[in-house]
Amino acid sequence: MDTLKIAATERSPEVEFNFKQGLLSLRGESYPEDASAVFGPIFEALEKFLATLDGREIRVDFDLTYFNSSSAKALMNMFQMLDRAGGAGARIAVSWFYSPDDDTMKEFGEDFSEDLEHVSFSLVAVETAS
Amino acid sequence: MLAKYYRSFKHDLDQRGIIFSFSGYMSEGILYSLGDALRQKMALEDTDVGTVKKVFSVFVEQAQNIIRYSAEKVGDAARTAELSSGMVTIGTENNRFFIVCANTVLATDEPKLRDRLERLQKMDKDAIKAYYKEKLREAPEEQSKGATIGLIEIARRASEPIEFDFDRIDGDTFFFCMKVCI
Repeated sequence: MDTLKIAATERSPEVEFNFKQGLLSLRGESYPEDASAVFGPIFEALEKFLATLDGREIRVDFDLTYFNSSSAKALMNMFQMLDRAGGAGARIAVSWFYSPDDDTMKEFGEDFSEDLEHVSFSLVAVETAS
Repeated sequence: MLAKYYRSFKHDLDQRGIIFSFSGYMSEGILYSLGDALRQKMALEDTDVGTVKKVFSVFVEQAQNIIRYSAEKVGDAARTAELSSGMVTIGTENNRFFIVCANTVLATDEPKLRDRLERLQKMDKDAIKAYYKEKLREAPEEQSKGATIGLIEIARRASEPIEFDFDRIDGDTFFFCMKVCI
């Protein structure tokens, strides 16, 4: 599958899914009014890719600084998709990056990771330049 | 006269601690620009990062609730040329930020909205967090474009219970407003 690359907009994150290398990342902020319009194409590509994995190893990085409640629901969906693929045999390592002074993003990482059974999850504090 | 009139209008806003107030047709573009100005203003005043995030988050959820649910709209949703009318006001009082939103709601939607807000008012922080997680895992409700979780997000960021009120306009509509302190 070709790499899925979507540039960030004012209210949606940068998406880079390098399927060949098995490196997927979401970066930036997400607060579109219509989250399904933003996440629909992302889910579609991810679902197709996850179905091809078997026992392959992949890495998924979430480096988000803010998202609204409808994006939170979409992210929860994404974690559920990853966990299902993990249950089917894929080896998936998720990293959730947050700034050390950002309790909200840290807490979201903890919330999302709670249900994961078949995915390895790390919370990673990263100092940002800003 | 003109300057006197608007000076007193501005003075009234200043007296209430208002940083900015928007009234009229809300769009995603306006939301973005106001939100950006809000974050810049708070950053310039060295507001701590956690507070900036909370205020911004409450502002976004409130503005998007107006866009989705205001009963006062022009245009046609099917042609995606719809604008919703409402008001968002942000200010400080007693060294804390407050965010107020107001819009018209249909009388038929009032009981459900009131129930949801009353339920949130009675919850403590832990209960709100648990409720958020429960809703996060649920499939979206029919007809609701995510209102419940948006209101829970607002309650989660607030430092005290949400205040809200309804004022009947006519048989079909209410003026609804909600105040959140950070």
